[in-house]
This record gives sequence, C-alpha cells and structure tokens, in this order.
Amino acid sequence: MELAKNLQTTINRSHGKTDLYVDLAQSISGVLLIGFLWMHMLFVATVVVSPELFNTLSEGLDRYYLAQVGIPATILLIIIHIFLALRRAPVRLRDMRITYRMAKMMNHYDTWVWVGQVVSALFVGVMASIHLWIILGAWPLRAATSAVRVASSGPADITWGAFTFPFFIVFYVIFLIAGEYHGGFGLYRILVKWGWWERHTMGWVLKGITVIIVGLGFAALYTFTQIAANLPAGGVIH
Amino acid sequence: MSAKNTHISDVLVIGAGLAAERSAIECASAGLNVIILSLVPPRRSHSTAAQGGMQASLANVAMGKGDSPEIHFADTVKGSDWGCDQEVAKMFCETVPSMIRQLDYWGVPWNRVTAGKKKYASGIETEDTKDKEGLITARDFGGVAKWRCCYTSDGTGHTVQFVVDTQVCKLGIPVHDRMEAIALIHDGETCFGCVARNLRNGELNVYLAKSTIIGTGGAGRIYAASTNAVINEGTGGAIALATGVVPLGNMEAIQFHPTGMPPVYILMTEGARGDGGYLLDKNMHRFMPDYEPKKKELASRDVVSRRMVQHIRAGYGVTSKYSTQQHLWLDIRHLGRQWVWKNLREIATIATNFNGIDPAKELVPVIPTQHYTMGGIRTNKDGAVYGLQGLFAMGEAACWDLHGFNRLGGNSLAETVTAGFICGKQVAKYTLGQTRNFNMKMVDGFVKKEEERIKNLISGKNGRENAYEIRDAMGTAMMDHVHIFRTGKSLEQGVAKLQELYKRSLKIGLHSSGQGANPELAQALRMPGMVRTALCVAYGALMRTESRGSHFREDYPKRDDVNWLTRTLAYWKEGADLPTLNYEPVACPILPPGDRGYGEASAGPKGK
Amino acid sequence: MGRKLTISCFRFNPNIPGDKPRMQDYELEEYEGMTLFVALNDIREKLDPTLMFDFVCRAAICGSCAMLIHGRPRLACKTMTRTLPSKFTVMPLPVFKLIGDLSVDTGTWFRDLQVRAEAWIHTNKKFDFNALEVRMENETAEKIYDPEQCIECGCCVANCITANIRPDFIGSTGINRVYRFLIDPRDERSDADYYDVIGNEDGTFGCVGLMACDDMCPKEIPLQENLAYVRRKMAAAGLKLKFQGVKIS
Repeated sequence: MELAKNLQTTINRSHGKTDLYVDLAQSISGVLLIGFLWMHMLFVATVVVSPELFNTLSEGLDRYYLAQVGIPATILLIIIHIFLALRRAPVRLRDMRITYRMAKMMNHYDTWVWVGQVVSALFVGVMASIHLWIILGAWPLRAATSAVRVASSGPADITWGAFTFPFFIVFYVIFLIAGEYHGGFGLYRILVKWGWWERHTMGWVLKGITVIIVGLGFAALYTFTQIAANLPAGGVIH
Repeated sequence: MSAKNTHISDVLVIGAGLAAERSAIECASAGLNVIILSLVPPRRSHSTAAQGGMQASLANVAMGKGDSPEIHFADTVKGSDWGCDQEVAKMFCETVPSMIRQLDYWGVPWNRVTAGKKKYASGIETEDTKDKEGLITARDFGGVAKWRCCYTSDGTGHTVQFVVDTQVCKLGIPVHDRMEAIALIHDGETCFGCVARNLRNGELNVYLAKSTIIGTGGAGRIYAASTNAVINEGTGGAIALATGVVPLGNMEAIQFHPTGMPPVYILMTEGARGDGGYLLDKNMHRFMPDYEPKKKELASRDVVSRRMVQHIRAGYGVTSKYSTQQHLWLDIRHLGRQWVWKNLREIATIATNFNGIDPAKELVPVIPTQHYTMGGIRTNKDGAVYGLQGLFAMGEAACWDLHGFNRLGGNSLAETVTAGFICGKQVAKYTLGQTRNFNMKMVDGFVKKEEERIKNLISGKNGRENAYEIRDAMGTAMMDHVHIFRTGKSLEQGVAKLQELYKRSLKIGLHSSGQGANPELAQALRMPGMVRTALCVAYGALMRTESRGSHFREDYPKRDDVNWLTRTLAYWKEGADLPTLNYEPVACPILPPGDRGYGEASAGPKGK
Repeated sequence: MGRKLTISCFRFNPNIPGDKPRMQDYELEEYEGMTLFVALNDIREKLDPTLMFDFVCRAAICGSCAMLIHGRPRLACKTMTRTLPSKFTVMPLPVFKLIGDLSVDTGTWFRDLQVRAEAWIHTNKKFDFNALEVRMENETAEKIYDPEQCIECGCCVANCITANIRPDFIGSTGINRVYRFLIDPRDERSDADYYDVIGNEDGTFGCVGLMACDDMCPKEIPLQENLAYVRRKMAAAGLKLKFQGVKIS
C-alpha cells in the first residue's frame, strides 16, 4: 500500500500473490473441513439406522484405503486451517481485549458469533486431537467399540446436580456442538465473503442444516449409549 | 501562545467546498504551490448538502429541447430581479455546460437520458429520442423556461464534491483541515495570507501566500433558523470585512426557502409541492389557493415564503410540540404511501429520522427558513476582491454577482465550480506574475493582535459576556426584524438591537479555560465578525427603500429601478458600530429591466 | 413531561496536560423529537462549554457526527433520544485519532485512504472542452451512485474488529471506494492495476466477514455485496482466471 512502503512491504509486494493464496487456502480448507465434518456425521448417524450398516460402511472405508488416506489428509487440512486462521484471530492480549470489549459494547450478532468461533476453535482443536488419538489407538472402528468409547468414564464420571454422566458422553456432546457451531458459521462466513447470496436467508439455511446435523449427532450418541448398555458385561466385543 | 508554524505557498485557499477546491485545482494545474485550509475535511463541506442539481443548458432531455446559454441567461437575470452582473451571468451560462462535462470526465455519475415515452407526476408527458440516449439528462426546477437541472439521483452536491476532491487528492494538494482563518494579513493594499487557529490543538498558524482565495460559503447561521450547516457562519466574509478596506456586496439579499422542517430546520425540497403536496394552517385549511389562485403552492420561492409568513401573522399558524415558534403543515398524505416512500423518499427519510413522522400518514411541520446569501465579498468578474490586491473570493462567500437579489434554484452548485474554474484561472494568471516580500514584522503584528484577543477572552479582561447568548440573541433579532417581511421601523429596531449586541460581543469572556481546541473559544472569536455581518444585512435592508427579489419592504413594495438599480457595498471602518454603505450602479447591457411576473405580493392576509 | 436523561460522556482532552480519560454524566430534560445533536449542543451551551464534538450538516449528509452511542457507532444528528434508555453512554469512535472528548480525526484517515486506494478516475483521455460527454447507460450511472453515496462517517471502520486490531486495514469503506471505481467504465485501470492497490491483507483479503459494517451503515449501502464482488474480482485477477461464460459479478 502506498504510504506503508518500507523494506518489508516492498519485498512483500514482489510476492504480491501470497496474501491471495493464503486467503483462498483458508477458505478452501474450511469448505473441505465442513464437507468432511458433515459427511462424517452422516456416516456416524448410520448407527441410528442399524449398527450393521455402520460396520459395513466402516469396513468399506478401510478396504478401499479411504480411511488410511482420508485421516492423514484431514489431519493435514486441520493443521493448515489452524495455521491460516490464526492470522485472523486476535492473538495478542491487547487484541483479545479490544475484540471482547467491542463485541460486548456493540452487542452485534455476527461479531459475537465470530468471537464464539474463535473460542469454539480452541475446543475443536484440543478435542479433535484427543478424539483422533483415541480412535486411532482402537482401530478398526466398529459400532460396538465406538459405543464402549462413548460410554466410558475416562478419567472420571461427571456429576451435574442429581445426574451423573460418563466422561466421554460429556466430551462428545461438547465436541459435537463446538465442531458444528464452528463449521456451520465458518461456512456462513466464507459464503458472506465470497458469495452472491443474501446473507440473512443464507444464515437461516445454514443454521437449519447445523441443527439437523447436531440432532443426528445426538441421536447417534444416544444409540451408542444404548448399544453399550446392552453389551455383555466384561465387554467382549467380537 | 504564539504562532507555531508558518506556511508559505503561492496560493492559499481558505475553505474546501466546491468553489474553493475547484479553484485550487486550477491553480495547482498551472504549476503553483497551493495549500487549502478548511474548518472541516473537504468532503464534509456544506456543498455536499445540495441535492437538487446544477443548471446547464445541455438540451439533451426532451423538455430541454432548444435550450441555450441565452435562455439560461434570461432566466438567471429575471430570477435576480435585474440585480445581477449581466457580464458575469453571460460568462457563467456559456461556461457551465463544459463544466458539467468536465465533472463527468472526472467521474460524476450524472443521470442519463433513457429513450422512450414518460409520464411525470405533474402530468407532463414527453418522449426522449434514441439519438439523445446516454447523454446527461436534466430535471425541472423553479423559475426556468427549460429543463436543465443536471443531477445525480438525490445527491448531486455530494457526488460533485467527492469527485472534485478526488482531483485535489490526485494533484496532491495539501489540505489542512480543522484550521480556521481568524484574520487576514494585509497592509491596506495587498493581502499576504492569514492567521489561522488550529482546531485540533488551539495553536495559531501563519499562512503566507502571493494570492489568497476565500471560498468559505454562506452566512446562514446569523439567523436562528437556517437550512445551512452549522459551520456556515460567514467567517470568510467576516475576516474580509474586518480589514476595513474590503466591502461585502448586497448583504440584504437573503433567500428564504418555504419549507424548512423544525426543530432543526432541515430542508424539505420543493419536490414535495411539485408532486402535489399542500400547505395547511391550524384549521387544516389549504390556504395557498386563497392568495395565489393560479400557482397555489407552486408559486416562486419568495412568494410562497411571503404568503406563509403573512398567514401565520394573521393568526393561522400552528402551535405544536415540534417548534417553539408557530409553523404550518406540509401535507403529502393524499399522495399515498407508495408514492411518498418511492418518489419522495428523501423527504420521508428526513421526516422519519428527525421527527419520527411518517409523512404518508402524518403532517410535516414546515416554516420558511433562511437558505442562501446572495451577497458576499464583492469581487470583479475575475473573482478579485475589491480593495485588496492578491485577495480573491468565490462561491456563496462571494458577491461575483451572478444571483442579484434572488438566486435561481440549481444555479448555486453550478456557480461554485464555474466560478472556481473561471476565477481560479485568473488567480493562477495573477499569481504567476507576482513576487512577494513578506514583512515579518507586520506578520508578527497580526499574530500578536490575535494572541491578545485570545488572551483577553480567556482572562475576561473586556467582560464576561456569554458567546452563545449573544449568538442566540443575534439569531433571534435577525428572525424578528430582518426576515421575509421587512419594514423601516422594525429594521431600525433590529439594527439597534444588533448594535447593542455588537458592543456586548466585544466584551465576551470565556466561561471555560480556553485550553487546547476549546470550542467556546472558537465561537467567541467568531462572534464580533458574525454580528458585523448581521449588521451589514440589517442596515443594508434598512437603507434599501424598495423591494427587489427576496428583499421585500412592506413600506416600499415596488421595485425602484430609477433609484435602486444599484449594488450595496458595505464597509466596516475601524471602531465603527455600523457599516458604511456605498452603492455602485448595476449595468444592464444585455437585458434591460422588465417584468418578472410577480406583483401578486401586496394583497392582504386571507383566512377561514 | 419528558424523561430526565443522563448522558454519560467520554471526556479527555489530550491537549490539556494531566487530563485523564473519564466518563462524565450530564443530566437534562428530554423533549419531544430531541436528537443527540440538540442534546449535545444543549450540554455545551448550558452545562459545559468545554465539551468537544463535531457537527456540520446535522441532516445525515456530511458524516461528521459519528460516535459510539449506547455502544454502537451511529450518526448523532439522526439519533433520536427517545430510541435510547434514559441513561446511555456516548464515546468517540475507536480506530481514529482522538482530538478530544467525542471528536476524532476522520479527515486524516480518509485522506490517507484516498491516496492509498488511488481513488480517482484513471484515464489516458484528454478532456476536450468542446466535445460532447461520453455516453453512458443510465443504469450504469445509478450503479455507480450506489457505492458513491458513502459519506465517510467512519462507522464501518469503528465497528470492524479487523480495523480495530490491524491499523493498516483499509476498511469496508475503502473496499467500497475501490468498488465504485471498479464498476466505472470511465476508469481505464485493468484488474491487475486494482490488484496492486488492494489485492492484499490490508485490502480486500483482510476482511474477516463480520458484517458489522453491513448492519450499521447509516446510508444503508449494500456493503456485503460490494465487498464480495471486489474479493471475487481480485481473486480472479490474482489467479489470472478468465471466467468465460461464468458471471463473477
């Protein structure tokens, strides 16, 4: 830019395409990840229909090496996406304070949603790592193994008032909501930035889709807990 | 406190509205070094508020067919009630079409002619032909024989100012905004620049130049109620008048617009009445047809304004929550919701924003309101100010004398760029042939004088009069005595009140510390100059014993070409408490004085 | 009778040594149709002559009086007090340099922007005083007028988180300004020329898409549409894509 000419900006200018590539890559990785997420949830939700269908799908993915290629690719995408999105997030403490104060003062919906996205990104980042670590450790994926995982107490059960939940149920509920929230609004934001569509209508459509997917996720989680409860004691799986 | 910075340039431009910036472009294009000073960033200037358009005889639109600079000239002279400088008007009318095209070349998105048959709200049906399609179109305006008002939707002033400012940016002309010129530096013969107060931090600055241009706009704010922006306090004229050698011309010629909306007097454009809106009184009676059976609400601005005030005076004014003074109603409800919100959207938005009124179902309060100062710093046709070399003025601040005693709608915006171009060229020519020696001792004298004024205001050495109280009292005096209807007796009272206020304005003392960019200090510094300007208006009106254009004397209701085909020149001698008035003849070399088509103005009040 | 209003004003004059930023409450009686223009002037003229703020046109045309009113950037002149609670805050716009109290330096910021964005018509044609204007569709003229309505009030800069934390970001108004020239057939710049100006993180690719600008523009300019258009156009220019038959506008 004209007035900001110094050594750094001048050199940067000769590589003038970087900013575009980075911006595109962030958007594209975001779209791919939300595609993955929605697909993933549809696959998981097949357990609601029948555990056999779930198992068949899972075996199919393994047989054709889709999982073996897909999982590392997704991990790579996530890393790229985090790296690229970080340059947009308020990273310095000062920036965080400004962001929070402005969002609070203006009480502007889309700004709050974005603050929520930054926060949900933290949850998704940490929880996705744990999730991957666990499922990769217990490969291959079958309805019964997943059921045990979902229903397991992990470090400890979590008590909330009169209720006690297994640790991983709580974990997955949070993960599901954070992931879908981040993804759904992320897609909204990408479309707002690039798209032709009226954003308020589009926002409602995406919220609708997100609610449906979250609903499917809950149904799947419930089904897993039922499967886990009906498994023989001692948990012989095969 | 002392002058922190001294800036030297070839040309100093005070003001950054359209006239000022256009002239700056002309000077910079001639290779001169130019500095622009402005109270506000250029794109905030009051020029942006002009919505109607610019008169230029392009003759593209069907209703403008056969138009020419000659017809535009005749309209302008009639409108001015033969008070204008006909040489200037001729030059203006011939130049303005190329100005419109140059603005187009620079980027103004003028609305264009579209081919086909059209039916307008007023019932007129026309057909635009294919051969004119894509050329700049025009709309109708009051007092014209042909449609020639070029426009960009409802924001003509805005787009023109923004586009002219892009050229100023492109040429790299430095603009020192929030810098107020508070005194001209001169030796009684030549102007050397000005002393300016920085409105960011209160520091004094000195600007020295071979040529100084004043383009600071009108002085509407000497009235308590004005459609003008709050910065239009006539400061440019006031500092010129304060030199003692520069006259203000025709200050009594003040235009009042029929429909300002209280409580803040924002303009409701003529379109409301053009589309069929009525004016109602307190009895919900449509009174205009009683006075003007033929033209009703669509008589000329002066006439409608006069009738409205006459009606209020006769006891038919409305007292409401919207205003402390009596007003009348503008009724456009019968046009229907769709029409109001589609074709009168600007009015509808303003009424909603500022009074919470939906004009599709509610009445809008209106009152005739000060709108334009035809007079100003008197210049010759090159824009050179009488009395001081190297000083120029243009736009509403000047009395180039395009408008005489009544301005034609759409001629003001057109004047700004045209005068900026024509006079700007002359400034450049003059400046290129000049050298200057700046006598720094003299300059320091002017700075010291201003420092002294500021010091005294802060310390209260001369008194503790409140600047805002004096401003309000002046505004009220102008409303009460120097408004639409003027009589010798009332004007005498007005002049006496203003003289009293002038004395008080010299005893102003601050009620705050005056530190930094203190706003009270800025107001206090302006006040004596504003009251002097007001006195030029009031005293000029008192002495002009005839009615001409917008200057209407109830005790002298006829135009008097034998005695008053003259232009008033008001000087302010040092230590005086009244202006000294001289008169110069107004020549009518092209169009001799004739009938304007008014003459309905002397009937008594009507009411039911 | 009207409510009693308590207006909590941000006060700080950087030109007074030792002055500290603070909030100061002013009480006044509300009356019918009161706008913040009237209220603030009342405060200055009757309660506190030192209070600094900016008004010019007081008709929502000039863009001088934008400030944070009850948390959001708005034009004070057209904000009716009755739309606000009986106690509310007014603060200067963030991002812009503070001149004092409610007054900020939008002039310098926007001047800088015009130069950075080279916001003027670039053409190699010479103006001919005797020639007719170049023809243009009326529809095109109206399309240009749309973004040209920006009054540079600064609301969209103040409410933009990106502009708040990245001082070099050109802002919604800046991208909109480039859009205005991009769609103007009189400007002869190529897409690559525009790319040089705003095809970067300080320009069109810096926008995160929070849309506070779109929601709070006092002139209701369709900023989302305009910004997305510029982004697509610049991406296409950067990638040297020719979308044959595909409408990117």
